[in-house]
Amino acid sequence: MDTKKILIIDPEKCTNCRICELVCSFYHNKSFNPRRSRISVLRDDEKGISIPMACQQCDTPLCQEACPAEAIYRHEATGAMLIDYNKCIGCNLCVAACPFGGVCIDPLTMKVIKCDFCDGNAWCAKYCPRKAIEYVRADKVGIARKKAGAERISGLMSLIVKE
Amino acid sequence: MSFDYKDYAGRYLRINLTDGKIKKEPLSKWMAKDYIGGTGFTAKILWDEIKPETNPLGLENKLVIATGPATGAFAPSSGRYMMAAKSPLTDIWGESHCGGHFGPELKYAGYDMIIFYGRSEKPVYLCIDDDWVELKDASHLWGKNTRETTRQIRDEVGDETSRVSCIGLAGENLVRYASVMTDYYRSAGRTGMGAVMGSKNLKAIVVRGTKDVEVADPEKYVEVMEEILWRNTEGPWAKAAQDSLGTYGTTNLVDLVNAIGRLPTKNHWTGYYEDAEKTGPEVIRSGYRIARDSCFSCLIQCKYMSNVDAGPYAGTFSGGPEYESIFALGSNCLVNDIEAVMHANMLCNLYGMDTISAGKCISFAMECYEQGLLSKEEVDGLDLKWGNAEAMTNLIHKIARRNGFGDLLAEGVRRASGKIGKGSERFAMHVKGLEISGQDGRAHKSSGCTHAISVRGADHLRSLSCIDEQGFYDIAVERFGANRAKEVCNLLSEKYKGYIVKDQEDLFAIVDSVLMCKYGTMWPPMYYFDFIAKLLPPLTGIKEYSNVKNLRLTAERICNLRRCFNLREGITRKDETLPSRFTEEPMPSGPAKGQVCSLEPMLKEYYGARGWDNATGLPFRETLEKLGLKDVAGCLESKGKVLRKGE
Repeated sequence: MDTKKILIIDPEKCTNCRICELVCSFYHNKSFNPRRSRISVLRDDEKGISIPMACQQCDTPLCQEACPAEAIYRHEATGAMLIDYNKCIGCNLCVAACPFGGVCIDPLTMKVIKCDFCDGNAWCAKYCPRKAIEYVRADKVGIARKKAGAERISGLMSLIVKE
Repeated sequence: MSFDYKDYAGRYLRINLTDGKIKKEPLSKWMAKDYIGGTGFTAKILWDEIKPETNPLGLENKLVIATGPATGAFAPSSGRYMMAAKSPLTDIWGESHCGGHFGPELKYAGYDMIIFYGRSEKPVYLCIDDDWVELKDASHLWGKNTRETTRQIRDEVGDETSRVSCIGLAGENLVRYASVMTDYYRSAGRTGMGAVMGSKNLKAIVVRGTKDVEVADPEKYVEVMEEILWRNTEGPWAKAAQDSLGTYGTTNLVDLVNAIGRLPTKNHWTGYYEDAEKTGPEVIRSGYRIARDSCFSCLIQCKYMSNVDAGPYAGTFSGGPEYESIFALGSNCLVNDIEAVMHANMLCNLYGMDTISAGKCISFAMECYEQGLLSKEEVDGLDLKWGNAEAMTNLIHKIARRNGFGDLLAEGVRRASGKIGKGSERFAMHVKGLEISGQDGRAHKSSGCTHAISVRGADHLRSLSCIDEQGFYDIAVERFGANRAKEVCNLLSEKYKGYIVKDQEDLFAIVDSVLMCKYGTMWPPMYYFDFIAKLLPPLTGIKEYSNVKNLRLTAERICNLRRCFNLREGITRKDETLPSRFTEEPMPSGPAKGQVCSLEPMLKEYYGARGWDNATGLPFRETLEKLGLKDVAGCLESKGKVLRKGE
């Protein structure tokens, strides 16, 4: 488990090119369709704010707790929560239970879909031209975030010192 | 829906606005094979369906919205769509392209194109939700700006991710260079497509789509996707693209083109602006840029948003301004206040009006005013001296509303100078009626040829070459041979420039049909025919296009057909020229001081390379027949507009 990887999303870097949505749909369906993507960029077009949203693969997965058919399970190698479509009864309770919109409904098949890390390939991160999405080892996230935070603070510090 | 080729939706919409009838028609296989998409599709449709001398603002003109095979797929800078119609500004071929997310959404809804004709009795907007297509009343939206319209339509359809293209007051008032605005800040700006919408009482189009865009060979296409990623993040041009367009957007051009003396200043009087830095990339980046933005499926991501916090223009907030807007409303009018430029840019966006033509109309009025051809009374009491930013923004309001003097400028510089007379034609900076974009043929010779031969009038986006502009020697060797490369890269020499322009026009015809962005393609020169030959076959299944030769033939077919459309409308060789300012007045200052643009040698090369006759500017029958345009040749021959070799 120590090499488990997670998706880290930095909305400040996202520009809403939606390549993550394109490649996500292509990885899973071999066709392009952002509305069938498991990651979605939430966007305010007028103000230019973009926030990519996907499943957080929670430690306490509410989707799993809500599922009456016990169709949601954790993949051991990747740590992703997956759906067993043989068991899924299509009640959509997982969609309602997730606080992040991490489980959604495929508009073509009307089945529930969610991020599965592309079986450990995470194409959204691979193709993101801004590195707004990164697929990184969980144990390295903390220090990477601290570094980004430190850069921000040092920028602020230099402003204060100037004044 | 099954279509012979993948990736296409395989059907399109035909909408008669007069009786409100909506038809869904299948796309023909040969259309995809012979014309690819985008500008290719529209060339064929406009040639076939618009009679010569049709009134561009009348019932018979057709407005075509088209996507291409790259639209909706992961392809380089492919989040685009284009519009074409006979232009009310130029009375010839009109086309305009636009980024954002509208094009892909139209494809996802299951349509490759929309063809509008007729005129609705009352204002309407077209609402597309996959298979559900409906014309809705837009009376309550008439008179609203593009921001309010977009916001309200999204509200009405109840989906904030739906995509809206709409016109503002300029389109409603038939300003001849009205634009169509998409997703608030993306603009199909040139040749007055907004006025065509206005003339049809069509306020907007809103689209929402949930269908798949399928790929012919998904496994092979993954290799193409890997190559795109590599080219844009690690390949030889990746850094150059990110350091310029990626970091600054097109604002970077203000510095770069001023450095070669090509920044249009004072209505093209010169190409060098002392105050360029004040409206340049660093000033914008450090003081006004608030967010980076991107069109759909783009790895360059040149778009940005700007905001003015304080001062007389406080509250100014919009996408851009882009290079072409900065020069047209800045150096071109001698306005060195970037906040005023940003404000003028926002006004043009809200009114839905082309910033280039608007800026050029204002600088034309300023020069006429300076020369005593327009009195203060004639311009509604405005003091139109160079650099008067307040007068400039005032004029933008007047033009969009067709108030007072603005009514004359809303006609474009060619018509306005015709009305003013008194020799004002000298200051009307246009070719074929289209106001000249931000280049100068005296400082960058091939751009003079580009302006002269461009099928939609003086414009850079049909064939501008950056190979000589930026001196890409290796690319010059690759494309034109080692013996020519040095001369090709000399931007002050006319030699070989006709060939480069022809080659770029062919490339852009393909890019405009596949529907990618030209900046993502050619600035720097990241993608060429060889890449398109790798992209199209696995995407569409059209195997013929794995051969570059076939791509080039189709490029020529499209270029020839568009030019033939103009011939049929009465364009002759003498229209393929430049204002005398470029050919007779030596550049007065800057790095290109003393230069004039000598067109004839370039035109001779260009016509030769196109297979058209240099003396008459007419095509040879053989050229058209070789491209499968026999019926076109026949039609033109009956009007005496085609030659046979040896005649």
